[in-house]
Amino acid sequence: MKEIAMFYGCKNSQHLLNEIGRSFVSPLSLPLCLIFLQMAEDRVNVVVHWEKMEIDILVRIFQKCFSLQELVNSGSAHVCRGWRAACCDPTLWNTLDLSHMKSHFIKVQQKPFVYVESRFDENLTRLLKLSMSLSKGNTMTLIVHFNLFLSDDMLTYTAIRCPNLRRLVLPAWNRIKKKSLANVMECCKSLESLTMPSIPHPYVVFSAIAMNCKNFRELKVMGPIDLSFVEVLVYLLPNLNVISLRCTSIYRDALVTILDKLKRLQVLNISHSYLLVQRYEPKQETIIVRELDETIMNKASKLKRFITCMEHDTCVMCQRTEKDEGIMRWYKYEEGLWKADEFMNLYATT
Amino acid sequence: MSKKNIVLKSSNGIIFEVEEAVALQSETIPYMIEDDCANDTIPLANVTGDILALVIEYCKKHVVVADGDGGGSSSSSQEDLKNWDAQFMNDLDQSKIFNLLLAADFLNIKTLFDLTCQFVADTMIKGKSVEEVRRTLNIEKDYTSEEEAKARQENEWAFK
Repeated sequence: MKEIAMFYGCKNSQHLLNEIGRSFVSPLSLPLCLIFLQMAEDRVNVVVHWEKMEIDILVRIFQKCFSLQELVNSGSAHVCRGWRAACCDPTLWNTLDLSHMKSHFIKVQQKPFVYVESRFDENLTRLLKLSMSLSKGNTMTLIVHFNLFLSDDMLTYTAIRCPNLRRLVLPAWNRIKKKSLANVMECCKSLESLTMPSIPHPYVVFSAIAMNCKNFRELKVMGPIDLSFVEVLVYLLPNLNVISLRCTSIYRDALVTILDKLKRLQVLNISHSYLLVQRYEPKQETIIVRELDETIMNKASKLKRFITCMEHDTCVMCQRTEKDEGIMRWYKYEEGLWKADEFMNLYATT
Repeated sequence: MSKKNIVLKSSNGIIFEVEEAVALQSETIPYMIEDDCANDTIPLANVTGDILALVIEYCKKHVVVADGDGGGSSSSSQEDLKNWDAQFMNDLDQSKIFNLLLAADFLNIKTLFDLTCQFVADTMIKGKSVEEVRRTLNIEKDYTSEEEAKARQENEWAFK
């Protein structure tokens, strides 16, 4: 501004302004006027410096108005140091919520039964990398969508950088080896709560929990429950306080074993699940039981909360569970329904 | 119900007299009244006159609607208010938005703060590259080249 004023032989910008006013009639002054107006506009824009915005306010902007993807994709962390500090605020990273992200995938016949588009994996890798360098180990809860298929590398990379993780909601293990999950438990010794799919041989995972996670107390399994699974469970994790086995099929003998063997169990949620009983006489068959008998109710009376719903006639969720034969097709239902739990601590929400 | 007025004084000495209901949308002002930090006039050392005028304009608009017939819950008035909010924000230049954000935070007017945050996020940050954000918001790059390189690495598509 000053240079322009001097160029036109004026002392300062005020002088220049006066000159413009005076020479308004002269056609020669028109370009000068235009330049001045342009400069005045620039000046208005230069007044505020957003790097000086209070970090606390920036944090709240990021928190209120940005999803995780938006925050990472916006590049806000790379704008300047102040903004980076805001992006690293622990309140933003307390929960790493990937519950809205689904892999771009197709189902395939062989293991791991899904094929994920490589471009999607690259983007997810980038998202995890940036998230982990901003979170600085402050993440306590990690929630992953049932159709977001993390690879071994992704899970390991993340677990190493979440040493304070308390809660892991990971319903899809298609591409994850059990050994990687055992590694997760070694990295996340503070883990208290796990949401997992039902798997045939849980020994490796449960023993890793037993060995590493002294405060582990809540388990939610999304999928059918049989006796062999429960036997490993009660043997390795006898101190569990909370179990949720909602929306699935549970063998009656498995349920009885849980009630008998887990002496410290306080809360058991089997809402919308139905029982299976194996019969041998007169012929071998599995029958569906839609009510809880007296033996079970007696054993469950020691619990603080025994949450049930077996209303096949009236309850939509009970009907869906049975229609899907205990393996809920969550993708068919309302967005986010899979996250629900009657026991609020296990509700997968931020 | 008698209408009590409250007198607010901006940092540069400009006086505004507003109805109590307008001023009480700020959660900070009640404390200042309680603390008796002013006999009649409440001094707002952090807010300049032009910004305070905007804050009051916003509060007046919103108090009218809250008092309006049907308790202001009718969908048309909500819709009108939303349009008014959008227009209100659109008319502001960057320096006003910057200072309005600070004022809404200091005065603790939640709806105004949220509105301003959302506007900043949507129009100035989202969907913009790092360079664009810097240009839009007049932010000087204060990273060293080493830090820049590290940032680039963070943005790569593979673990390494």
